[in-house]
Amino acid sequence: MAETDLSDERNLTEEQKLFKESISDWGERNLPLERVIEMNREGHPFPEDIVEGLADLGVIMGTVPEEHGGMGLDWTDQAVIAEQIGYIDPSIATAAGFMAVETGWGFTINRHCNEEVREKFVKPAINGNKFIGIATTEPGGGSDVAGFESTAEKDGDEWILNGEKTFISGVEECKKMGGGYWVNVRTGPQVEGAPYKNMTSFFVPIDSDGLEPQEPYDDAGRGSLSTSGFKMNDVRVPDEYMLGEEGKGFYYTMEGFDNARVMIGASAVGVTRRILEEAADYIKERETFGNPLAKYEGIQFPFVERYTEMEASDLMVKRTTEMQNTRYDEAGWKEKKEKPQTYKPTEIAKWISMIKYKIPHLAKDTADDAMHWLGAAGYSSEYIFETAWRGVMSYCVGAEGGANIQKIVIGRETLGKDYVPYK
Amino acid sequence: MRFVVLVKQVPDTTEVEVDEETGTIIREGVPSALNAFDEFALNVAVDLKEELEEEVEIIALTMGPPQADEALNKCLAIGADKAVLLTDKVFAGADTWATAVTLGRALKNIGEVDMVFAGQEASDGNTAQVGPEVAAHQGIPQVTYVAEIEEFDPDEGNIICKKETDEGHVMMKTDIPVLLACMPKPSFEPKIPNVKEIMKAKKKPTEEWGYEDLGGDEEDYGLDGSESVVMETYSPPPKGEGIKVDDKPEVAVDRLVEFLDEEGIL
Repeated sequence: MAETDLSDERNLTEEQKLFKESISDWGERNLPLERVIEMNREGHPFPEDIVEGLADLGVIMGTVPEEHGGMGLDWTDQAVIAEQIGYIDPSIATAAGFMAVETGWGFTINRHCNEEVREKFVKPAINGNKFIGIATTEPGGGSDVAGFESTAEKDGDEWILNGEKTFISGVEECKKMGGGYWVNVRTGPQVEGAPYKNMTSFFVPIDSDGLEPQEPYDDAGRGSLSTSGFKMNDVRVPDEYMLGEEGKGFYYTMEGFDNARVMIGASAVGVTRRILEEAADYIKERETFGNPLAKYEGIQFPFVERYTEMEASDLMVKRTTEMQNTRYDEAGWKEKKEKPQTYKPTEIAKWISMIKYKIPHLAKDTADDAMHWLGAAGYSSEYIFETAWRGVMSYCVGAEGGANIQKIVIGRETLGKDYVPYK
Repeated sequence: MRFVVLVKQVPDTTEVEVDEETGTIIREGVPSALNAFDEFALNVAVDLKEELEEEVEIIALTMGPPQADEALNKCLAIGADKAVLLTDKVFAGADTWATAVTLGRALKNIGEVDMVFAGQEASDGNTAQVGPEVAAHQGIPQVTYVAEIEEFDPDEGNIICKKETDEGHVMMKTDIPVLLACMPKPSFEPKIPNVKEIMKAKKKPTEEWGYEDLGGDEEDYGLDGSESVVMETYSPPPKGEGIKVDDKPEVAVDRLVEFLDEEGIL
């Protein structure tokens, strides 16, 4: 743990302070930076003890209501957890696997699945015994969420799925642990000008007959979490595995993206804080031309600029999750707050897109700066910066939606629908 | 059965500032934490409770300003069933004696107590006096430097503890009620409360007791009730950098001998 402490807990509840403390203590014991660096260098899939530990801590899918096996946390609580997960694992593999994919998407699967999927997959995933994820991207594209090719045809009380999904997080882990994926398919003809119509979501178990996992990609970062894909050749899933209603998959998918993106934004705040703390230890100690590096404006000023941006980002996450809390209160998932404020889902989506566009870039740029401040030391894997840079880059280039997609959402909500470049 | 664990919230920093007038530690605006020795004592109590078949209530008891409830929240998350915060302006400025008087009266208020657990000392004052003084006030036996509980027989009402000494350890057997001042080994890893336990802690009872709840005279408490007068409090100056010999044992020993020789120590 760095000697420099840049955390400010004054706006946290007593419970949130304890969440942070527990995750820090657990991380220090089980996931020190040396291990994060080693896991990324080795590139092996997620170690079981980490999954077990996170499940024991109760941080996976904490927002799932207690009656469904979760902790019933609100989004602000879960964001505090995600931030601290980013802090202990700045390679963002843990945050990617268990905060964005499992927590964000898992929560949304649980909202739209039936009791069988909940019992067989969601609850075991909360307990760290299964992996559930999301598979939207296809070889033909990812950013155009509704522009996919996979199909499903009804056959009695089953559906037959065909198609291919690629750049999917956690397939190797899912194969190992069991579980499955949220998969979007077309259950009717593509409608000209309205491609989101006839888009239906299913939960597809990883061990389904006809589902062929592909070889993992050799990613630049996030080395301890696999990325690959799978083909679906006449994969049969029962009616009950449809998520929500037929033809409404686009709306559920956007909801899932919102829930995953906010977790990534929160995690990236934690990544940024860890980078700044680790860098601060070095620049306060290391001397050049008779002074510590931290005394030179060329280093001190960008340091404080990143710090300021990090604190601003933290406030953005807090505000956004407070908006999100009212959304789910209204959906009847938890008791309403005393003074609920109403926000349209698109308004919340704007804030979430601002988070997703801004904060991973902040974390990546901060890692980049830190490498410059440390020079050759920063470039080596002796320090966390290059590992963090490679990991968080995945959230700049595309995972859970690329930066430009976020800008389109923000543009739609600020300039108006008439200025949306693509529909 | 009822266990009471005496805990203290301490500054979570080595940069302790002292009020020049009263000689007491300034706690406002300073990050704080549950005293690590007390956390160990609580872990010992929780582990013992888990081993016992009969029902045990664990009460975490502290004296401090209202914000000391943060330490109590952590105790509840780790496994205490109830928390009591002794907070009153009358209690302010207490030395170890007045603190022990206050805690002792709170113990009387609690009622029948089978075991009192305390940390061996607190990381801010390091006096190691409060636990033993509480035992003396209560008229119960005490064992200090307790590293672990070897055996507990609730039917016979006695306990065997492993007590650390400079030479090693001794096993001590005593009747209950008893006060155990606990001393963690360097390898001790405290229990990490999970989200469920933290959320459950929110629903556990916490009571606040002031001077009027404990009774007695105002002069018994706080600065007035203190037997000692603090003449001066200061942070010891840093020792300066040491020399670390990081090499094979045979080389390291030679260099150490050389150093001691140079310094005229040998």
